[in-house]
Amino acid sequence: MPDRQEFIDFILDHYENPRHHGALDNPDVVMRGGNPGCGDIVTMYLKLGADERVEEVAFEGQGCTISQAAASIVTEKVLGKTLAEVTTLNHELVVEEMGREVVEHRIRCATLALNTVKAAGRKYHSGQATKSAAEAPVEDF
Amino acid sequence: MTEIAAGSKSEYAHPEMLVETGWVAEHLDDPQVRVVESDEDLLLYDQGHVPGAVMIDWVGDLNDRVRRDYLGREGFERLCAAKGISNDTTVVFYGDKNNWWACYALWVFQLFGHASVKIMNGGRKKWTDEGRPLSKETPRLSLAHYHAPERADYKIRAYRDQVLEHVNAKRPLVDVRSPAEYTGELLHMEAYPQEGALRGGHIPGARNIPWGKAVRDDGTFKPEAELRALYETANGLRPDQNVIAYCRIGERSSHTWFVLTYLLGYPNVRNYDGSWTEWGNLVGVPIEKP
Repeated sequence: MPDRQEFIDFILDHYENPRHHGALDNPDVVMRGGNPGCGDIVTMYLKLGADERVEEVAFEGQGCTISQAAASIVTEKVLGKTLAEVTTLNHELVVEEMGREVVEHRIRCATLALNTVKAAGRKYHSGQATKSAAEAPVEDF
Repeated sequence: MTEIAAGSKSEYAHPEMLVETGWVAEHLDDPQVRVVESDEDLLLYDQGHVPGAVMIDWVGDLNDRVRRDYLGREGFERLCAAKGISNDTTVVFYGDKNNWWACYALWVFQLFGHASVKIMNGGRKKWTDEGRPLSKETPRLSLAHYHAPERADYKIRAYRDQVLEHVNAKRPLVDVRSPAEYTGELLHMEAYPQEGALRGGHIPGARNIPWGKAVRDDGTFKPEAELRALYETANGLRPDQNVIAYCRIGERSSHTWFVLTYLLGYPNVRNYDGSWTEWGNLVGVPIEKP
């Protein structure tokens, strides 16, 4: 199991070199989530295949190191999964990957992106998906 | 010797409570000084900090893990001992967000009456903007000995019932949140998620003096004359008054508490750390909302 410094190095790598960072053109769903404690905001973009498989994913955001690194990590987790599979992803997956001892006092920051992408899936299924970040309200997670 | 900020610091009521970045740079190896970083962003410290500084986190170190309260005497003793802080150590706080959490940590240290505490003017931003060195090394510290008294909340901390008495007595309150939070248009800062309270507005009688008006663009505190113009000339506060400051969870108001208490010399200022996340959820308390 990685030690604390290795977890921190992993988080900082995602923070400084975020994967899938930016906006998507013509997404199928856009969801914005926020964490009032830190003021973190994450916008998740999904483009889906015919079987609701995540073919493209991207994120934008602002906030603390943990929230933004977690968003990068989550994009790697959801790419290639179906929305049904995304909804089964557990918070523990992110917390354990980032190191529980590192993020235990910022759990909401660590889980913001996952909560946001899961909410994006629900929004898509509701038939009320927002497809523009400008029109998406910030939901509290 | 404490560095004097050009034309301003010597006028503060308690200039000894503030040190400049240059002073900190000259005391990095001073065994009587412990530099403490306190941030909103938990991992800023790990990305580089003032060499030799330790980190104290407002959640993990200062708050009780179960109740909404602060750590008790024994917890404070353990914290200080682990951070290499003895009763006679001078503790210099700095951090992100214009020293919000640094002032908050200093305020908690004052609940236990620590003798020598200071804020590094300008915080983390000024240190980095000046190109000063950052270290990723966590200092290896010997366990210090610390003896703390029981936490003394009565002097600088206000509870909700005391705030209600304060309102009824028509004593001055300072709401340091943004104007939109004060009016109830928002429940949190602009662009932040709106959560944390069921009602919007402000505590009756409170004056809205956003915390940020006390600092300059570089994060340092404004000169004493400008602060007096802000709090006294424009908003009618007087040093002889009993004042309570509040915000959303008590961190921005600890910044204003620091300004009123130490830079302007108000002897009777309390921070209501329950703030709007408590008041805006309380049943039956009065709220002003235009």
